[in-house]
Amino acid sequence: MARTGLCDSKPLLDLHKKEKAEERRAPLRTWANAAGPKDRWQPPEGDEPKMAPAKMEPECRWDRRLLVSTSDDIIMGFHEDSRTHTAGTMLHITDGCPEEPLLLYPQGFPGLHSLQALVPGLLRHEVEIAMEKLGLIWDRSYAWDIFLDMMKNQFRSSFPNADLPRPFTDATRAVLVDWLVQVHELLHFQDETLYLAIHLLNRSLRQIKVSTVNLQLLGVVCLFLAGKKEECLLPEVSGLCFLMDNSYSRHQLLRMERKVLCGLKFDLSYCPPLHFLLLSASIARCSAKMVWMARYLLELALLEGQCVVFLPVQLAGAALCLARRVLQEPPTPEGEAAWCLASSIHVGSETALLKIMHILAGAAAKAHSRETCATFIKFSSPETMHVSSHPGLRNAPGLLGVPPLHT
Amino acid sequence: MAQGTSIQYEPVAEIGGGAYGTVYKARDMESGQFVALKSVRVQTDQEGLPISTVREVALLKRLEQFDHPNVVKLMDVCATQRTDQETKVTLVFEHVDQDLKTYLERVPAPGLSPDRIKDLMRQLLCGLAFLHSNRVMHRDLKPENILVTSQGQVKLADFGLARIYSCHMALTPVVVTLWYRPPEVLLQSTYATPVDIWSTGCIFAEMFRRKPLFCGESEVDQLGKIFEVIGLPAEEEWPTDVTLSRKNFPPLFPRPITDFVPEINEQGAQLLLEMLTFDPLRRISALNALDHPYFQDEEKSQCNS
Repeated sequence: MARTGLCDSKPLLDLHKKEKAEERRAPLRTWANAAGPKDRWQPPEGDEPKMAPAKMEPECRWDRRLLVSTSDDIIMGFHEDSRTHTAGTMLHITDGCPEEPLLLYPQGFPGLHSLQALVPGLLRHEVEIAMEKLGLIWDRSYAWDIFLDMMKNQFRSSFPNADLPRPFTDATRAVLVDWLVQVHELLHFQDETLYLAIHLLNRSLRQIKVSTVNLQLLGVVCLFLAGKKEECLLPEVSGLCFLMDNSYSRHQLLRMERKVLCGLKFDLSYCPPLHFLLLSASIARCSAKMVWMARYLLELALLEGQCVVFLPVQLAGAALCLARRVLQEPPTPEGEAAWCLASSIHVGSETALLKIMHILAGAAAKAHSRETCATFIKFSSPETMHVSSHPGLRNAPGLLGVPPLHT
Repeated sequence: MAQGTSIQYEPVAEIGGGAYGTVYKARDMESGQFVALKSVRVQTDQEGLPISTVREVALLKRLEQFDHPNVVKLMDVCATQRTDQETKVTLVFEHVDQDLKTYLERVPAPGLSPDRIKDLMRQLLCGLAFLHSNRVMHRDLKPENILVTSQGQVKLADFGLARIYSCHMALTPVVVTLWYRPPEVLLQSTYATPVDIWSTGCIFAEMFRRKPLFCGESEVDQLGKIFEVIGLPAEEEWPTDVTLSRKNFPPLFPRPITDFVPEINEQGAQLLLEMLTFDPLRRISALNALDHPYFQDEEKSQCNS
């Protein structure tokens, strides 16, 4: 598994995290016992007036704007790259690949949908290298099959709609996810475990009858089960109970474990969007800062209930696209070509990608002032290159709202 | 649902004690279909369901997504607590009336046709190759857990249960048949997916003979019976991590396999010997076995006819 990342930053983060967890634990529990979650949830007010128009736009405007933005944004990338190609500067990247001339349409592609058909060899080659580099595979000869399997299996990971059963709202879910992000960090779990835990939570909320009182217990059990699936070292059940102020007994926790396993029919397989993100970032030769920025944005998606309808590959693609927009790193011919190839994974998903980018941009702009800011704090550390406090994020929705004019 | 198991599935009959617990034939009250219920009791300590059980059952669930034709369908799983220390995990499988054992018993006098055997073997190896490519080994392959539907479709059952059951196993004084066990298991050496290929070889021979190939009564006796056929392996082939010495066995030379399986054709005999290879590392894999000339031959004759 991709063990990149957070390990080094743990001690430092924990110091203020533990403290944070202490003060957050109680409110959640208090709230869990109280009846009206909606009353407690106060949307941060008065921050980022720029955000308002984007957020309040009626649904239909998405569609109208999409065409423009899509072609200007993602397809535009290809146009630029194509020009670069004709200048003949990317030969060293595609050396030895017979498909390479097909990338050189000067006027963009007649049909973008055929891109995957046009460059299978090149994409395959890059995917294989990237998967090996990330430690997602042991043997390169299986890499492409595993990648195709990931692409196919991810369809089981999204939900037909973002509706939650009645007592629960996106806001209550976000409070729980935020708390789980902190517990996850406290336990030194892998990032994959967090994504799996939240996926199990999303499924459990829809498949199991849980009372508001037991919501926090459900969240912990999802994290515990994700740990049993992914981790070598597990916390003790009594330790988990302690994290919840001993509001639930060990017995209750184990009963919930059985309930979740039965409700989910023991199906714990999941393809985390993080794997797609690292894969794309590796193919696109993204800088370390860009990868951290994308990882931050992707983790913010966990808090957004509306994101459950999207495929992991789309969430990862959108996080990376937005990170690229925010950071505005000076383009290089090699970088643009590699980005073009990495983007070909998302051909046909431009609409979904743009929708997600808007959600994430809105979330990132407000992240610092929200009550659910564990992820913001996590990614403000020096180990994560302070990405969450990047000034460009405050204006992120603006980057998407106005059709970008590339010259 | 945990509590719903007994309500949704109405037991109809007991179908075999099995080494790992009783198996019931039951009717799914929702669909009317027959199912096979297999329960295993796992020790649940203070930390809930053991990691091994969680991972193994999750793996079986994942295999289910592929819907392989030669693997029995896992339809449902539930866990119910029995006592503080014990949880019952019930696996609900599709029910197939006949296993290979009864199938072979019911075959009239001259036995199965060579083409029928070839077809059964190909299906068996297909299922096995699928399991092995997903890092699942069966570990207890025998005619009793190879199911044959009325349409002649082969379905592997009970795979991957070995590890789920293993903690329960130690508690039950069960007699597990040794007849399909490979030398490395009998010698208590390390083993992996080649164990299933050995068992498949034994079953391959049994399809012709309609009786088991090696019927040993103890581990040592079973090894002796094996060496009577394949000969005593060379000193350098004997695993170093075992207590049982090679010297305990008489020096035997391999005998022609056709002495034991007279009806088998030349290519079949070749394949059988590659499956009954003493060294697990040199034993043929399921995927390579499917490419063996024994199977290609049939395709040619099928095209011609």
